Amino acid sequence: MSTEKSTPESDRKMIFRFRWPERIEHIILLISFIGLASTGLPQKFAQNHLAESMIALLGGIETVRIIHRVFATVLMATGIYHGGSITYKLFVLGQPPYMLPRFSDFTDLIKTMAFNLGLSKKHPRMGRFNFGEKLEYWAVIWGMGVMILTGFMLWNPIATTRFLPGEAIPAAKTAHGNEALLAVLAIIIWHMYNVLVARRNLSIFSGKISREIMEEEHALELEAIEQGETPQPPPPDIYRKRMKRFVPFAIFMTILLLAGLIWFVTFEQTAITTIPPIY
Amino acid sequence: MRLRWWGLVGFVVAAMVLLGVQPIRAQDGGGDDGGEGKDSFDQRCLDCHDGSDATLVFGNGEKRSVDFDLDAFNISVHGSSNPSGYLSCYDCHGEHPFPHESGPYATPRDLRLELNARCEGCHSYQAELGSDSVHAVAMAAGNTNAAVCVDCHGYHDVHKPGVPRAEISLTCGTCHTDIFAEYKDSVHGSALLQESNPDVPTCINCHGVHNISDPTTDLFRIRSPELCAGCHANKELMNKYGISTNVFNSYVSDFHGTTVTLFEQQDPNAEVNKAVCYDCHGVHNIRAPDDPESTVLQQNLIATCRRCHPDATTNFSTAWLSHYEPSPDKYPLVYYVNLFYKVFIPGILGFFLIVIIPDAFRRFWGPSHKEGEEQEEEIVDVD
Repeated sequence: MSTEKSTPESDRKMIFRFRWPERIEHIILLISFIGLASTGLPQKFAQNHLAESMIALLGGIETVRIIHRVFATVLMATGIYHGGSITYKLFVLGQPPYMLPRFSDFTDLIKTMAFNLGLSKKHPRMGRFNFGEKLEYWAVIWGMGVMILTGFMLWNPIATTRFLPGEAIPAAKTAHGNEALLAVLAIIIWHMYNVLVARRNLSIFSGKISREIMEEEHALELEAIEQGETPQPPPPDIYRKRMKRFVPFAIFMTILLLAGLIWFVTFEQTAITTIPPIY
Repeated sequence: MRLRWWGLVGFVVAAMVLLGVQPIRAQDGGGDDGGEGKDSFDQRCLDCHDGSDATLVFGNGEKRSVDFDLDAFNISVHGSSNPSGYLSCYDCHGEHPFPHESGPYATPRDLRLELNARCEGCHSYQAELGSDSVHAVAMAAGNTNAAVCVDCHGYHDVHKPGVPRAEISLTCGTCHTDIFAEYKDSVHGSALLQESNPDVPTCINCHGVHNISDPTTDLFRIRSPELCAGCHANKELMNKYGISTNVFNSYVSDFHGTTVTLFEQQDPNAEVNKAVCYDCHGVHNIRAPDDPESTVLQQNLIATCRRCHPDATTNFSTAWLSHYEPSPDKYPLVYYVNLFYKVFIPGILGFFLIVIIPDAFRRFWGPSHKEGEEQEEEIVDVD
């Protein structure tokens, strides 16, 4: 509150940062992540009292497994959408690959550390996505890759062991659980600190970010915006030409990947169907 | 009436003990019981039944000898060694005036069931326990062959139960012949019957004694791993045989065990199709895991898996860690994946903290921040 008082008028100016599809994508990611974590971690720590209560609350272990798989399917579908959306941004809109790690990210990290430790007076000036955000983005990509791969193996153990040794299943279980733990702790420590504790940055919900935060976190982008140097969408004729290629490709890939997703979730029934118990 | 009788019996026994006289049956003058004492009463029975070759003919034409083996009775728990005195014929058979009525019973079983009801008079606790057992339920449903006290314990020659231990399973085996045939060759049964092993379970260790519950219920199934763990998680007991006690924990931490344990805690009467110990190891026919006939021997395991997972291929069975803790020798892939995360998770989180902690200090407790606070105070002062 009091900081706002001392903040110059220009700092409180809001700058547009995220369009609605990105904001919705984040909300779906957030919901499915919480859904997956709250149904997955209790399975990993099933012998813990709290985990057991959680499972009971959600309607028992079989229900928890189904909820987990529903959220997994939602998250994988979001992943497919994300692939389409970055393809569109990069190849149709011709945006630069903001998320691509660069050497400057490493130096930005060092400079930030030096600034925080009082070794330097200058805070690094960073672009649209700084090293912390890139780290998080690629952690999500890596994490989803691990989780989808190992999740497939756990969901379809019989199919998996047609190609892989049996040991791959418990190895996948270990990886899936540990990766989940890492993801949750990373979100709590890194993401929550950066967007809620260090400063309240809710731009992914509102779409707008304060000039003050831009100044600190994305000084280079702010400069570009204020000088009117943001990448412009291509002229209509080029846009139409690119769309002519993108749309069939996107439709083809979406059908292919959705078919893959359906294949994934319906591949094997043994693990979930009920065989009458043997006495 | 009966109380007075028992008072008399007690008095007689006490008198005999005091006088150092052992109750010797079938001899006159056990005490001054005034003519209708139990010895004289029993003596009248023995006059005919000791060494009789008469038969009792039942309504259905079956015959039974009425001979009474006095020697066998004397050494039974109800005979002269009974601390509260030997039982009289009357105690179980009741008043049975002579000449006896002939053939009020259709079958020998009818007679036995009627006489069996007398056990409860003294053994009320056991009778109560047994009253909702599988046998009692079967009896109530009309199966008159269901076991009653005397079927297991005998009648005139009742001995201390479970001595020797093998007697227990042999007794059950008299009716449950198929199950006994499986059990006697099992790792437990063969140790009991051939080596008189004192630790292996007899029938009653798993099924209970008088309150034998129905072992085909979902509840029994869901609780069965704990039954096995009763012995198999007992370090002292298992060390004697070099058997790992980690079997229960390793079961609980895997898919099947986790699910079954959760159901046991939350919904113990649910029908759960996840494997319990005996689904893989066998029920009565449990073999040592290195026995060529064992259902869990690696060569046989896939056939066992396929009972629930019909499409499983050979590799599938090794997805189960066979109760082992992953190590560089056993299931190295699992071990190294786990090890990777043991380093990776603290590594990544440590990196986060190294970046975050100085940032937090600068932001919330750093010099510029304090300056800022002072400034704000000044502004407030000016206001």
